[in-house]
Amino acid sequence: MRAFALHGDVPGAGPMLRSGRAARIGRVSRVDDSRAEDEALLLRVAQGDRAAFASLFGKYAGRVKGYLVRLGAGAAAAEDLAQDAMVSVWRRAGSYDPTKAKASTWIFVIARNAWIDKLRREKVELAYREIADEPMEHEEAPDAAAERVQTEGRMAEALKLLSEEQKQVVRLAFFEDRPHSEIAERLTLPLGTVKSRLRLALIKLRSHWEQYT
Amino acid sequence: MKPLHHPSPDILAAYASGTLEPGFGLVVGAHVEGCAECRARLRTFEAVSGAALEDATPTAVADDALSRVMARLDATASVQPKTDTRPLLERLPLKPKKWVAPGVWVAAVDTPHAPENRVYLLSVAAGGLTARHEHEGREFCTVLKGAYRDELGLFAAGDFAAAEGELNHQPRVEGDEECVCLFATEGRLKPQGFLARMVFAYANV
Repeated sequence: MRAFALHGDVPGAGPMLRSGRAARIGRVSRVDDSRAEDEALLLRVAQGDRAAFASLFGKYAGRVKGYLVRLGAGAAAAEDLAQDAMVSVWRRAGSYDPTKAKASTWIFVIARNAWIDKLRREKVELAYREIADEPMEHEEAPDAAAERVQTEGRMAEALKLLSEEQKQVVRLAFFEDRPHSEIAERLTLPLGTVKSRLRLALIKLRSHWEQYT
Repeated sequence: MKPLHHPSPDILAAYASGTLEPGFGLVVGAHVEGCAECRARLRTFEAVSGAALEDATPTAVADDALSRVMARLDATASVQPKTDTRPLLERLPLKPKKWVAPGVWVAAVDTPHAPENRVYLLSVAAGGLTARHEHEGREFCTVLKGAYRDELGLFAAGDFAAAEGELNHQPRVEGDEECVCLFATEGRLKPQGFLARMVFAYANV
């Protein structure tokens, strides 16, 4: 089940990432390589590098299309939307900040927003939707910066709280939007186990978050 | 002020994954926009999804997809999206307000995508009491202005509330300004009492 394993580290964790990067040098894995590679490609795209864009397209266009098909877009609509999303990657690459998110997360968010905008014609702009566009980033006061570091730390903690099994069901249930019965079938688990695993994962996150509110 | 009532993790996870129905997503977005805590929570789920995207099996794209996209790059100037900084209340595309009772108006949010689910603003003047009602289906609400109190507590600007079918409640406006809330509902509300039914039927919520 390697395909469903999640990375233990968290994108978007700015200052943590910087110190984490040094620590990772000793244990560079395949996952870290591909992550660093995507990040480098995206930074080159931001400079207008078309070859870098073509590489990124080669890796992500098909994945984005697959995601859109799973969300319910027909094959033709998914193709168009995936192309639109990749054009958006080109246009917005300048706002990508590797200290805030992994390249894959940043691209995922662009694809998701393209899908929501297709469904939603009223197009109310929501300021936080893009990772690079956090409202709290503008002229951030020292307090706000400290708070951000704190929430990022919490985010990392929150993900670490979940077992690999729990992350797997969260991922299948939400990212892949699979019905619980299908998840049960796929993992050859009783339906009750899938439901309770998912419930426990969400309870864990909720109680973790509630300590701070 | 920091919001006190947040969407549950499953709602945030569905929202982050793009699987929440968009009318409901708009109401969640109205809360998240003003809640640093939930923005951070959302980033957690987006990170999960980003990792999933990386590991996903790609679907074949059209043979000419890359050349078509490359051809569009020239025409596309790089943009820094400008953020509309007006309060959400001013950015929502609304249908005309309907006064449904003294001090109470309803305005549907123009959501052509959601014939089944309704997205609307409800404004109740200070001191106002809404009709006691039950829910047929799911309802999400984010308070945009003012505050109300019901059996579940005090909900002020920025707070989020989700109701499932079984909730029967009678919200009352708190404080000295009107309370404006953004709602998304599945199915119709079932107001109790004849007058309330008339009002809700008229407002078409």
